[in-house]
Amino acid sequence: MGKALRPRGWVLVAYLLPGLLIYSFVVLVPILAALRDSFYSWTGGPKKTYIGTGNYKEILQDDVFWHSFLNNVLMTAYGLIGQVGFGFVFALLLMSKMVKLKGLHRTMSYFPSTLAPVIIAFLWMLVYNYNYGLLNAGLTKLGLGALVQSWLDLTGPIVLLASIPLSWQNIGFFTLLMLAGLSTINKEVLEVAELDGATGVRKAWYIIIPLAKPTLVVASLLCIANNMRGFEHIYALTGGGPGNSSSVMALYAYETSFLRFRYGYGSALAIAIITLTMLMILLSTLILQRRNHSKGGA
Amino acid sequence: MELQLELQSQRSPRRFFPNPAKLAVNALLLLFTASCIIPLLWIGYSSLKTQAEFANNILSLPSAPQFSNYWEAIKLTNMLQLSWNSARVTFLSVIGITAIAYVTGYITARLDFKGKRAMIFYYLFGMLVPIHALLVPIYLLFKNWGLADQWYTLIIPYIAFNLSLPIMLVSSYVMGIPREIEEAAAIDGLSFSGTMYRIILPIAVPVLTTVAILQFFSCWNEFSFALVLLNDESLRTVPLGMSYFKSQHSTNYPQLMAGMILSMLPVTIIYFVFSSRIIAGVMSGAIKG
Repeated sequence: MGKALRPRGWVLVAYLLPGLLIYSFVVLVPILAALRDSFYSWTGGPKKTYIGTGNYKEILQDDVFWHSFLNNVLMTAYGLIGQVGFGFVFALLLMSKMVKLKGLHRTMSYFPSTLAPVIIAFLWMLVYNYNYGLLNAGLTKLGLGALVQSWLDLTGPIVLLASIPLSWQNIGFFTLLMLAGLSTINKEVLEVAELDGATGVRKAWYIIIPLAKPTLVVASLLCIANNMRGFEHIYALTGGGPGNSSSVMALYAYETSFLRFRYGYGSALAIAIITLTMLMILLSTLILQRRNHSKGGA
Repeated sequence: MELQLELQSQRSPRRFFPNPAKLAVNALLLLFTASCIIPLLWIGYSSLKTQAEFANNILSLPSAPQFSNYWEAIKLTNMLQLSWNSARVTFLSVIGITAIAYVTGYITARLDFKGKRAMIFYYLFGMLVPIHALLVPIYLLFKNWGLADQWYTLIIPYIAFNLSLPIMLVSSYVMGIPREIEEAAAIDGLSFSGTMYRIILPIAVPVLTTVAILQFFSCWNEFSFALVLLNDESLRTVPLGMSYFKSQHSTNYPQLMAGMILSMLPVTIIYFVFSSRIIAGVMSGAIKG
């Protein structure tokens, strides 16, 4: 662009400032404030007691927090399979010439993504309900009455049961994301591969997956970020229960602050969650990209 | 020519027989698509049953539609108040997001200035930061500043947390507009601001519409910040009101279902009216993001 069109400095600042101010006020300022508050013992009143790294030492020994962290990690693993994995498979199927009604599939599978997480959680609460649940009714109809149970009271697979609604809601989004990624693959490459006799599964494995790697990496990172910050589904579906068995980090920080009024500790938890999430994202970026390079070189 | 003939003869047998793989793939996808809507259809028709009828057989269709469930749900949830609160907050947030995203996205696409890369990175950071970790610090901040429990409270976090992706969408869209248009405008004596608003803004309407629709969903559905920042019952949004309704009237399932249907009506209508545009928008965001 020519010099003539360049606005004066203050005009530029005036345009960019509102966005930066509101964004900083809600993203950066709370992080800095949490960092400050995390060194205090504080129940919300006027009395704040400086306790140094006391809160952080407590976090290290806080079994419930680490259990919640593991639940986040487990949910991420389920999410990678249920959202990125299935999303990729459905996108591959939707790319193939065999499939009819592609528009219908795309429209319907994305629809749950537009609903509120709270409503999704209520819906699945009804699905899992012991007396009036769709799941138990379906099992009875199929002659599998022995499997009928109070699903959300199961401590063992509760994280998996809570992850299914999340996957159900987001799978359409990931399918679209994959479809977008796959559509950028050069058609000629695929045609040449077909001429060479690569079809179906072989085409997918040797040609499409390596070429779709960047999309898969982006999708995986998004999925990790989403699952590490999960809150609403768990809050509305199980409330972290039974006991603490399905608690996640954000829910634990919420309960610590708003039900037990430990704002200092809650602030330290916020910093811990941000740090752990960023570490997870950094780690997975490194792993995914290294694998990307080694595959590319081979 | 020879090669083509050979290929055709190789392929032709497949076309004449019903291909089992083809059947299986189509069946699988239909099953998947059905699983995305059947639970919702179930809620839809169950919301028209009496409690006794629902308890008797949860799968059967209603014998006589009970629209009274809807009237009760509207009364008990105070749905009109909830919807008005949600609509006000959502409308103003979406306006704010779209305006800021347009200006910021346009400038990052067209101008080089000191700190531009840092600014882009700063906005990208917002997509990765676990926002629900910030519930506690944001609550404390808003309470200190007297910003909690106001009619405008939610607009602030809703704009801030939804800026990252729209800025990127606008920026990459503007990069696709030929620069010659702006150069011509400059020769005709139009200022930077004049070009941005009078020349490029009309061209960017499609991407701004996509941004607005996608952020409408995100603001209308938001729950966590509404939960933490609002105590005043008269300010509650739809998802928040629904969660209180559920915990207070959890035994009357058809009524709860009627409330759920009402609360998702706006997004459902908007989704099915604009679905092709929304899907195209998500896909373009996916490629560029």
